[in-house]
Amino acid sequence: MIPTAVTSDPPEIPRLKGRGTPLREQFFRLSLWASLAIGVVFLAGLLTYVVVEGWPRLNPKLWTNFPDIIDPSNAGAQSAITGTIWVISFTALYCLPTGVLTAIYLEEYADRDRWWNRVVEINIQNLAAVPSIVYGILGLGVISRGLGFGQTVLTAALTLSLLVLPIVIISSREAIRAVPQSIRQASLSLGATQWQTIWRQVLPAAVPGMATGSILALSRAIGEAAPLLLLGGLTFITFNPTGVHSQFTVLPIQIFNWISQSRAEFTALASAAIVVLLVILLVMNSLAIWLRNHFTRRW
Amino acid sequence: MTTPPGHGPGGTRPPQPARSVTLPPSETVFEVGGLSVFYGDHEAVRDVNMNIGARQITAMIGPSGCGKSTVLRCFNRMNDLLPGARVAGKVRYHNEDLYGREVDPIEVRRRIGMVFQKPNPFPKSIYDNIAYGPRVGGFKGNLDDLVEETLTHAALWDEVKDKLRTSALALSGGQQQRLCIARTIAVEPEVILMDEPCSSLDPIATAKIEDLMEHLAQEFTIIVVTHNMQQAARVSEQTAFFSSEIDGSGVRHGRLIEFDETGTLFSNPSDQRTEDYISGRFG
Repeated sequence: MIPTAVTSDPPEIPRLKGRGTPLREQFFRLSLWASLAIGVVFLAGLLTYVVVEGWPRLNPKLWTNFPDIIDPSNAGAQSAITGTIWVISFTALYCLPTGVLTAIYLEEYADRDRWWNRVVEINIQNLAAVPSIVYGILGLGVISRGLGFGQTVLTAALTLSLLVLPIVIISSREAIRAVPQSIRQASLSLGATQWQTIWRQVLPAAVPGMATGSILALSRAIGEAAPLLLLGGLTFITFNPTGVHSQFTVLPIQIFNWISQSRAEFTALASAAIVVLLVILLVMNSLAIWLRNHFTRRW
Repeated sequence: MTTPPGHGPGGTRPPQPARSVTLPPSETVFEVGGLSVFYGDHEAVRDVNMNIGARQITAMIGPSGCGKSTVLRCFNRMNDLLPGARVAGKVRYHNEDLYGREVDPIEVRRRIGMVFQKPNPFPKSIYDNIAYGPRVGGFKGNLDDLVEETLTHAALWDEVKDKLRTSALALSGGQQQRLCIARTIAVEPEVILMDEPCSSLDPIATAKIEDLMEHLAQEFTIIVVTHNMQQAARVSEQTAFFSSEIDGSGVRHGRLIEFDETGTLFSNPSDQRTEDYISGRFG
């Protein structure tokens, strides 16, 4: 049966016309855009500036030649580029496993009711806020002199590892915590041990988050100059590292070095080196994104 | 030792103790006596006594917060995972103390599987979901055959046989839950615990799960917690009614009010509170 149509009073026509966006809302939106613009405009300005400044020196000599204090037109940053790659590779080698394992302990095994676990947690948060120069002093006093490793790639990598370890730990913990509890319960209810659950379920699910955090941490390490200034990175190095016990220089320090020269050619050289540093960072981040997507797709 | 059938434990202790029943001639899988569960200092469940028979479905019903899920989690020691949780009293599985000193909770969970309220397939392929339990248990045989057998057993094979390698997360909610049941039986447990397995599913998916439960009850002992009284009435042989009570000092505890054959409990409950609950007067 078809319901009969409404026969009573004609319905009131609802007013649907808007009253326009309120002024306050427009203002809010505008301030959001303005905030966004500050970051983007400054970054774009900076990038343009270094590319324009460094343009005359952005040629293969930059990565085929070594620093030359006499003839800036033939100077290059090869020792700094290879030094950066050496130092950052070993930093990753030391801090990633340590950081991830610490995060696993704190998230999956540590009993929060125990005071020592809380002390560890608070200290890790505090360490993340310690200025990097302090790590440089630590590296100089303990690793370089105390352990006798000298002003080498090894010392630099260990110092930078300590510097970024809190960031790796904190971001890895976030990633582990983001894995739903229901996945752990499902695994345990099927008779998996705690280790099997972590290794086969929690870690694979947390890898994308961990990779992101670790790359950010390493990006910070790669741009760090302050602690390395104390560790001998400032010496005039015209050779590539040959091993972990080799002396070294890195890009931020080479840039610092060139900027402090009075001749304009060196300033251009510094800008060109900045471009190289940014390209290295870009490549690292792209690799991380690729890795992350790769892991995500396997699910 | 064991609670004699037909007698409630404690006799005269108010409020009325749970009524135990004589089980059908099947063997007893779980024997629960004086079970209390604590979260920290709070006694969440007090003095539960029940025997659960083999190869049948036992339903646990009751209002929210009455401790039925807590009791369910005692059967495979999932409460161990909650910090501060403690179990007192007796839970015997084939006459062996589940909380005995030498008992390995990992072994317990291989015999006594669990299906959860929200379908929780691993973010892996359908195949890997089924194969996970056998793999972590060190299964040596042919995994392909095992996966096919298991899925066939769980009446899911025809729906998924062409997409075994695709993500389990692409399945519908009902299929995901049946996959979780299949994943549980792949490790060949004796008991399957189900914690409100249908609460997030639509009626059609629910009906399929219920069919599956009845089919599986020929081989497995199933204990199901449900909010749905019709479901308990439809699928179970035994029903336990839990409710919460406030004791003399004003603390709320979950209690087992009545435990009986499902038909009897629903048509002729012996406790007023059971009758109130099943007739919709509270809860």
